[in-house]
Amino acid sequence: MTRIAFGRRAALLTGAAAFAAPAVLRAQSDPIKIATLTPLTGAGGPYGPVMAKVAASVVEEVNGAGGVLGRKVQLLSEDDQTNPDAGVRAARKLIDVDKVAAIIGTWASSVTTAVAPLCWESKTFLCTVSGADSITQLPHQGFLIRTQPNSTLQVARSGEFMLSLGARKIYTMIPQTPFTQATIDLMGKLVSKAGGTHQGLVYDDKKTTYRTEVDQVLRTNPDMIFAAGYTTDTVVLLKDIYRAGYKGKIIGFGYSINQKLIDQIGQPEVVEGVYTYSPSPAEGSTAFERVKKATGLANPDPYTCQVYDHANLVLLAMAEAKAATGVAIKDNIRKVAQGGGTTVDNAVDGLKAIAAGQKVDYTGASGPCDFDDKGDIIDCKFRYEQIKGGKITLVKVA
Amino acid sequence: MLNYLLFIATMGGLYGLLALSLNLIWGGAGMVNLGLAGFFAVGAYASALLTTTGHAPILAGWALALIAGGLAGLVVTLSTTRLREDYLAIVTLGFAEVVRLVAANEIWLTRGTDGISGIPGPWKAALGTDFNPVYLVIVLAVLGVVFVLVRRIDRSPYGRVLRAIREDAQVAQVAGKPVLRFKAETFALSAAIAGLAGALYAHFMSYIAPDLFLPLITIYIFLAVAGGGTGRPAGALVGAYLLMLLLESARFIVELIPAISAVQRAALKELLIAVVLILVLRLAPGGLMPERIPAAPRPQTQGKP
Repeated sequence: MTRIAFGRRAALLTGAAAFAAPAVLRAQSDPIKIATLTPLTGAGGPYGPVMAKVAASVVEEVNGAGGVLGRKVQLLSEDDQTNPDAGVRAARKLIDVDKVAAIIGTWASSVTTAVAPLCWESKTFLCTVSGADSITQLPHQGFLIRTQPNSTLQVARSGEFMLSLGARKIYTMIPQTPFTQATIDLMGKLVSKAGGTHQGLVYDDKKTTYRTEVDQVLRTNPDMIFAAGYTTDTVVLLKDIYRAGYKGKIIGFGYSINQKLIDQIGQPEVVEGVYTYSPSPAEGSTAFERVKKATGLANPDPYTCQVYDHANLVLLAMAEAKAATGVAIKDNIRKVAQGGGTTVDNAVDGLKAIAAGQKVDYTGASGPCDFDDKGDIIDCKFRYEQIKGGKITLVKVA
Repeated sequence: MLNYLLFIATMGGLYGLLALSLNLIWGGAGMVNLGLAGFFAVGAYASALLTTTGHAPILAGWALALIAGGLAGLVVTLSTTRLREDYLAIVTLGFAEVVRLVAANEIWLTRGTDGISGIPGPWKAALGTDFNPVYLVIVLAVLGVVFVLVRRIDRSPYGRVLRAIREDAQVAQVAGKPVLRFKAETFALSAAIAGLAGALYAHFMSYIAPDLFLPLITIYIFLAVAGGGTGRPAGALVGAYLLMLLLESARFIVELIPAISAVQRAALKELLIAVVLILVLRLAPGGLMPERIPAAPRPQTQGKP
């Protein structure tokens, strides 16, 4: 009996060894794994698919040019369903089963906040486009960067722009989000300093009509409305504002008021003259042109540009570190993102420069991509646009 | 990989607790509770707030979650005593949405849509990477206790009264059973279990936000209970684990399909889950483990002169 038992155990061991041995040999040529975790379904559904697509185009280009550190790059794309619970399950799979070095593109602030602890505990790098101020204040030990300017910066810039347009009675209409109260407070401070008046109204972003909200706002006769929601609710809101016969100015975030919104509304007169603004690359940036080409869109949204930058930055940091781990990315991402050197706008050129021993400074499609110690971007220009005749036309970049 | 499996097993256990809670009230007393996510949220928020803002020990948080869930359940039943079936379902669904909206808007208490992060886990710092297996054991232990409890209820005379109420409340009333008391007690107990599940969830994830408590989770649990077997605790439990298995394995199955984009893969995954659930309900309408109603006990005097 004992002999048979030994035989079994030995057979098991041999079997296990047979499985394990090629794994060890393979390790050197195994692909480097990174992943996108974007909303492919749910409220973020309009944004996530093209984000995943642009990341895939970066990886494809890099693989075409020989990969990173002599290894191919494999991109996995999971769906966070715009839901923190589904996001965490997807992230656990990416981290524990696929063992990715970095996760890029988390969109909703709640998903990012839920996924972030998993990332820093397992030393996986996380790049996000979420704007809530609280995200970079998490104890992330450096394993997180975000390319979206935090909401304070975004709101301050939009407030200044509204005042420069001559608006003095401003009304902010905003759904309940992590930056809602901060936005209303900040706008109030900015506007009253300039001698104007400001009011804020918080609405529920899942409603199918905003007629009562619009009536309440128009009663005060504002000369500018700041529509600070997302595409889905802003479509409904703008229609109701138009129906109510409002004649003043309207402004909103570029991630919500964009070509997709114009198409969804389908009536150019509803959106005529509406302003929109978004973080912008420095003028003459070639990375933005590359994103246009990769996605086939005339006006890629800021999130898509940011995910393009995430993918490039992560790959460059690995090359700089000569290692494909989350820790390596954390320690080297600022070396390739900022601090002078050869300016590059894509990973292929950057990888060549790094191989040639040069210091690179990545300038991306969403901006210069320089980060402070907490992981926030340092400097950011904004692009102000206006809808004229159903087309988005540039007002200024500042 | 191991960490992932432990994680999924823990999540399955938490869904299992919710399934037992729903099975007790829906399978047992026939009350359609679409507000499960609301009670889940009440428990999660009660425990998270007590242990973070209140700096209380975790066990106190769990106890509070039980009480808070139970009280919320009592309030809902007592305010809906005259509602049945669809109407009760609508009100409970409304209750869950109210809880979510309060959590999103009462920022002074719940920190709004920012959510509460940094919720402590039991011995998390000391355990390090061993946290996941230890937490799984805790969840399984709680699940075991709750399972024994609801099965005991199911097989007791109390459970028989519940089934009588489910089949026809009027008849039960005529037979002298205090229907309202039975309904209120059972609903409160079921809500308390859901609240406890919420607390266990909060301390496992370390982060909660209103977005976590969308009606989707209620629908998932309804599917788990319906697929596993309504009216049988073991069926609900098996259903919950099978649902989790299905949700997660769909991820790996669609990865095998080459040459489709990430969006198509995500859509296909949802489709696959839906098809499997439809098939289960089509081929086994009573669930995989249908309810077994034990024969009524014979009177002991039978056969004696």
